[in-house]
Amino acid sequence: MIWTRRQALWAGGGIGTAALLTACGGDKDAASSPADSSGGTPRKGGTLRVGALGRASATTRDPHGNQGNESDYLIIALVHDTLTAPGLKDNTVGRLATSWKPSGDLKTWRFTLAKGATFHDGSPVTADDVVWSLRRLRNTPAGASRLPGVKAENITADGKDTVVLVSDDANAELPLLTRLSTFVLKKDTPGKDIPKAPGTGPFKLDWFRGGNARLVRNDTWHGGRVHLDAIEVTMFESPQAMANALLGGQIDLASNVGPVAARSAASRKDVQLVRRPGDMALPLVMRTADGPFADVRVREAMKLVVDREAMVEQVLSGYGTVANDVLGTADPAYAKDLPRRTRDLAKARKLLAEAGFDLSRTYELVTTEDVPGLAESATLFANHAREAGVKVKVVKQESGAFYEKTWLKGSFYTNYWGTNDSVIFLAAKMITGAGQNEAGWSDPGFDSAYRKAVGAADEKARATALRELQRIEHDRSGYLLWGVADGIDLAGSKVRDLPKLPGYGRVQLERVWLAR
Amino acid sequence: MAGPLSGTATERTEAATPPVAAPAPRRAAAAALGAGVVLAKRALMLAVLLAAVFAAVELLPGDAASATSDRGESAADAAARRRLLGLDRPVWERFLDWMTALPTGDLGTSARGEHVTDLLSAPFPNTLLLGGTAFAATLATALALGCWAALRPGGPVDRIVNVTSGITLALPEFVVSVGLLLPLSLWTGWLPAVTLTAPDGAPASWTMLVMPVLALTVPQAGWNARIVRGALADQAGAPHVSAARLDGLSPRRVLLRHALPGAWPAIATGAATSTGMLLGGAVVVETLFNYPGLGTVLAGAVSDRDTPVIAGVVACTGAVISLVLLCADVIRARTLGARP
Repeated sequence: MIWTRRQALWAGGGIGTAALLTACGGDKDAASSPADSSGGTPRKGGTLRVGALGRASATTRDPHGNQGNESDYLIIALVHDTLTAPGLKDNTVGRLATSWKPSGDLKTWRFTLAKGATFHDGSPVTADDVVWSLRRLRNTPAGASRLPGVKAENITADGKDTVVLVSDDANAELPLLTRLSTFVLKKDTPGKDIPKAPGTGPFKLDWFRGGNARLVRNDTWHGGRVHLDAIEVTMFESPQAMANALLGGQIDLASNVGPVAARSAASRKDVQLVRRPGDMALPLVMRTADGPFADVRVREAMKLVVDREAMVEQVLSGYGTVANDVLGTADPAYAKDLPRRTRDLAKARKLLAEAGFDLSRTYELVTTEDVPGLAESATLFANHAREAGVKVKVVKQESGAFYEKTWLKGSFYTNYWGTNDSVIFLAAKMITGAGQNEAGWSDPGFDSAYRKAVGAADEKARATALRELQRIEHDRSGYLLWGVADGIDLAGSKVRDLPKLPGYGRVQLERVWLAR
Repeated sequence: MAGPLSGTATERTEAATPPVAAPAPRRAAAAALGAGVVLAKRALMLAVLLAAVFAAVELLPGDAASATSDRGESAADAAARRRLLGLDRPVWERFLDWMTALPTGDLGTSARGEHVTDLLSAPFPNTLLLGGTAFAATLATALALGCWAALRPGGPVDRIVNVTSGITLALPEFVVSVGLLLPLSLWTGWLPAVTLTAPDGAPASWTMLVMPVLALTVPQAGWNARIVRGALADQAGAPHVSAARLDGLSPRRVLLRHALPGAWPAIATGAATSTGMLLGGAVVVETLFNYPGLGTVLAGAVSDRDTPVIAGVVACTGAVISLVLLCADVIRARTLGARP
């Protein structure tokens, strides 16, 4: 369950918005699962019992802290609103902020807050509250990665309902960065009151105890009508126990339960299997700056060696899709037209020979067991590589050691990104000198395409730059992205309108209702 | 374990005092001294155990700062947190700090900044409830089965108990758990599959305790039934038991009044060692049934390299085990000491 804490930060999701979805003709965007297509009209009332993964030792109540547990994040995301949220059609939709506008140079962004938004105690939400909350978030130890590129002093209020964020560099994707952890609390909430602090979200906290909680409907939520009377969250240490609770009818929704539990429940007719495509990317990283993979021909050979279909089938139990070495497959701007790379051992051998790749050596592929399937993907890749005469030895590292010793430094390792819905967000990690440049990559063509894309106010120029950026990533980067895992939830037959978004889109439960 | 050892120590002190002539105050003083020695030994043992815990966590790869860090946290942030958590100091220094605070009831602060006493305040009673119930069920089952089998040595009951207890004691808790879960919950719906937690932090319904208790009891009852049966078999050959039998007393009366009293020390020691197994098995069982106890806290703390939390759990469970061992010693001392 360690993986959840890392995913907590990096999942591109956050909480979604019924408000904006409904406002822009909602039903097209509505997240519904196949089983509830017979849907009907939402019925008011009922308590949704949700299971979410978490560890008793890692529970936290601070919306700006390090939420290692999905259960904690779920509770926080239902009680507190973020400024923006992930959407199905648009990557970013409004939440507490209903609209946003950049300056011409894309550095200054003005967010307008939702009209009539109030805290659970009835007091109105002001720009001062938002500024205080964002600054608090920014000043946490990991603040720089939670709200990148915006210094605390550059977050200011302009009047009662406008918040101004000034980015260090031009950034067309800034609203995307406010989707995940920009939870808003009342200005000057003392630290000891944070666990019980009123939020602005669709649900109010009734009680919280050891990771479990009961939330009740906020009848005056600015985002629209909420159908459920209450949500009860139970924290589960193991996905299997969570699946058993669902099969035994003790909970209505097993959130992000994973492929193994899904398989055991797949035969049950009274259980809905919700697949949220594009949930997580599991790339292999090859160091491009130096070492055995510095030669682009070697990297291409590795990309040709892997049998992608087999990886998806065996590593993800088929709950996933084959990918084409470009990160951000769930992004509407994802370049679907790039030539699909398939297995070609002959060509791989030829490229390796041309590059003078030493086939007598054994290459170490470092991996962790942070997320299900990760270590398995390394082992399977090693088998595929052997068929091309490349000897790969899989080395498993403990999570903490991996992030200290291997991540950003190693020459060959597995990695995962809980966000898969923005090409450009992930590309930011690949530009020359980026703080999290995992493959040590530096490519002038890529850098310039990136700058064009983030700096372009014009949609068309931006689309062209994004296409170019992805082409270079596909051809030359240090990422071997063989596939993307689905997020998998299990639900009882009565549950309707479940979220279908990848990543933390799964916490958007305010539209859910229970059929009779 | 020191159980039998300290038992003989107590016995020796008692034996050294002439049974008839010694004035009562001196005997009491000697007994108090003996108890003091036993307690001191137990405390020392616990301290050694806790030192071993600190050392073991130190040997694990990574530390609390890296294990609880965010991806993307800078090296400086990690170093700052390492300082904040005191991880830059030598392990023995942290151990001494933690140990000196222990007598005041302060179990330290977790890597995530919470008081360990707060972290354990709800799970510990839950685990005691689970372990205690399982202990009582184990003892009752083992005594009933052991006595029943001992009534007709070599009879069908004896053979069945012998074989089934042999099988069950070898079963790991998770096998028993799955074996119970399928028929009792997922197929029939008779019992809840997992434990849900009520607002007060305890299990929401007593029915949720049934399967976890059974999963812990089955292997331990098998083990203890064999001990009971064995101890009764040893007693069967004792002169006073033979005499009772020759006197024509009913087998039942011989068993309960003459053989069982002499078997108590062995039974008590066996049951006491089960405490450790029960609490150890609880780690597995709690995860499988989502029971809100110490097991889940411990599992998380180990992956967090969170030494104060691990040590806190060990201290709590260690204290319980020591207490039960002490009870076993008292039973031994009283039973053995009562006879000349």
